[in-house]
Amino acid sequence: MTDKTVTLAHLFPELLNLYADQGNVSVLRRRAQARGWTLNVTPVKLGTQVDLGSVDMILLGGGSDREQQLVGRALAPYRADFAAAIEAGMPILAVCGGYQLLGRYYELQSGERIPGLELLEVITRADKGRLIGNIAIEWVAADGESDGRTIVGFENHAGRTFHDYAPLGRVLKGFGNNGRDHQEGLQYKGVVGTYIHGPLLPKNPHLADHLLAQALAFKGCPETLGALDDALEWRAHHAVLGMLGVKRG
Amino acid sequence: MKRLRAQAALWIGWLVTILLRLVGRRGTSLPGLVASRVSPDLLFRLLSQLEQCVVVTGTNGKTTTSALLYSMLTDDEHPWLTNRGGANLLQGLLGALLPHVDGHGRLRVQRAVLEVDEATLPRITDHYHPTLIVVTNVVRDQLDRYGEVDGALALLRSGLQYPGTILLTNADDPLATSLGWERELTYYYGMEECPVDAAPRNEVRDGAFCLICGQELHYERYIYGQLGYYSCGNGHFDRPEPHYGGKTNSSFEVVIRERTNAGRQEEFAVQAGVLGLYNDYNVLAAAAAARLLGRSLRHIQAGAGRYEAPLGRMQLFPGSPDRILALIKNPTGANSVLRTLEADERDKVVCFAINDADADGRDVSWLWDIDLEWFVATARCQSYICAGTRALDMAVRLAYAGVDREAIRISGHLPDMLRMTSGLTVPVYVLSTYTALYPLGEELRGATR
Repeated sequence: MTDKTVTLAHLFPELLNLYADQGNVSVLRRRAQARGWTLNVTPVKLGTQVDLGSVDMILLGGGSDREQQLVGRALAPYRADFAAAIEAGMPILAVCGGYQLLGRYYELQSGERIPGLELLEVITRADKGRLIGNIAIEWVAADGESDGRTIVGFENHAGRTFHDYAPLGRVLKGFGNNGRDHQEGLQYKGVVGTYIHGPLLPKNPHLADHLLAQALAFKGCPETLGALDDALEWRAHHAVLGMLGVKRG
Repeated sequence: MKRLRAQAALWIGWLVTILLRLVGRRGTSLPGLVASRVSPDLLFRLLSQLEQCVVVTGTNGKTTTSALLYSMLTDDEHPWLTNRGGANLLQGLLGALLPHVDGHGRLRVQRAVLEVDEATLPRITDHYHPTLIVVTNVVRDQLDRYGEVDGALALLRSGLQYPGTILLTNADDPLATSLGWERELTYYYGMEECPVDAAPRNEVRDGAFCLICGQELHYERYIYGQLGYYSCGNGHFDRPEPHYGGKTNSSFEVVIRERTNAGRQEEFAVQAGVLGLYNDYNVLAAAAAARLLGRSLRHIQAGAGRYEAPLGRMQLFPGSPDRILALIKNPTGANSVLRTLEADERDKVVCFAINDADADGRDVSWLWDIDLEWFVATARCQSYICAGTRALDMAVRLAYAGVDREAIRISGHLPDMLRMTSGLTVPVYVLSTYTALYPLGEELRGATR
């Protein structure tokens, strides 16, 4: 009998939980369950050992500046392990603060720089005015291909993020990474970084399944995930598109 | 000299009231504040003119209890006055009296229900002795203000040391009960039947130790917090038999058994449009106080029926079905509303009206921080209806909390949502964010009329 368990490390839920990240966990758990898999969630608290050897997937949520600073410091000793995991293709979902934390630094308006994990060549600078509101993007695959699928949610960030990786998608309505280049988020190997919460996964079941499939592949059990009844999720998704006036076929 | 100052204070108080009205502001504590600065004596001069005065104090439930009691007592023949909205310090009391004073400095209304802050009580009773003082409970609250619960208890005790005043307090609260020890003219109310905690929850129990020997109190049953059926193992004290015993089963009715001194017992039911065990205690306290003042059952029942809770505080809109409206605006508040729904063991339907206007919060992430999983698994909810601009977000939230998708219905408009519940035979709970609350309240009032 095979072990049908996939393990998600939820990093620092006590600090990085600003935008209802347990919503993302809950979606991954139910969708894994529906395919006969058990999602084993390991909450990793600040100051405890992180053993990535038994982990198939990582969730890094958002927190306040102060909390991010704490987390950044705590993670620094494990930087090498994380870097190796990223290169090996481990799926990592990093939302808002977690997304910023993957990069080199987050520069406050005072000029002070909160150091990041320096896992990716990403920098973030705070600027006047927060970028707040509903957002819709067109999901563009890492190779630049798009089949027109959208991702929707809510964004609320003072940081403007810049990088040269593939974005998660093209902004249709909203601000995205920096409100300037019409790009939102980041994709690199298994990493998905994004400012979109709401939470992210409930209204974007295709993205949830994409992450889940990656986790199974990373675990060495690749599997084509069967379709679920997502009528409600898609209605909620399209309702946000409607609110934003985004027309899709 | 004191009289002149009091007269001057009165005029100044009026002047401020008139000026505030001219600029379109009412109900502030400013007139009372200014007048009490000019003459600290004025309040007591006015109070001494009252024929009857009830003071309601304690930690929780003061505002609701005094509003219920006011509603039970006042009528055209014998009007009462009250300080609404929790203005319960000295200047607030004066502010409530000022509008009822005539040109000769005499009160036109001779009866008052006054909500009074615990720390303010001794400052009043040093100069004036009310007819009746109600102490709702003594629990941990606002530690920074009173130091500790022992301090609050000492303040109340010093405010109650005058023998002519009747005391009515909570038999189920060991701390409040201790105020009546060896005191004449003391009456108790308490719950005799209510949904009870099977096991003590992980709560702070301030009163859980005997005030005489310090031993932990033994509880035969827990009600909530430190409230319950308690006794000291060394026999120092236990719960007194209440003169007014309440029975409640999480509906809108409290049945009260009155035990008069002659040994006669009488039972009567009081219905008020508020829900939850905390409110049942408030209804019981108010009805007991009204009875002690000799009010008839008919007046008490009618007054409780007239009482209108602020919109969204779990009030009942009777009809077929009964609908109950509650405001939810953050996970903590939503969780406490859900706890009250869990206590209602009847089958039920729950509606969510979720908007995302600025006043509601444009980000609806918070829906995922509500502890819905527990609610869905334990509450006997037949189906859910979602409405509002974010109805679908709520629907998805419910689906992932474990609700069968067949049992979730979506309604675009708020009136439609209510229409979908008409004719149901089970109670309907309507949980609403801020901007949906007022339209829903209007609809529900219209439907009740």
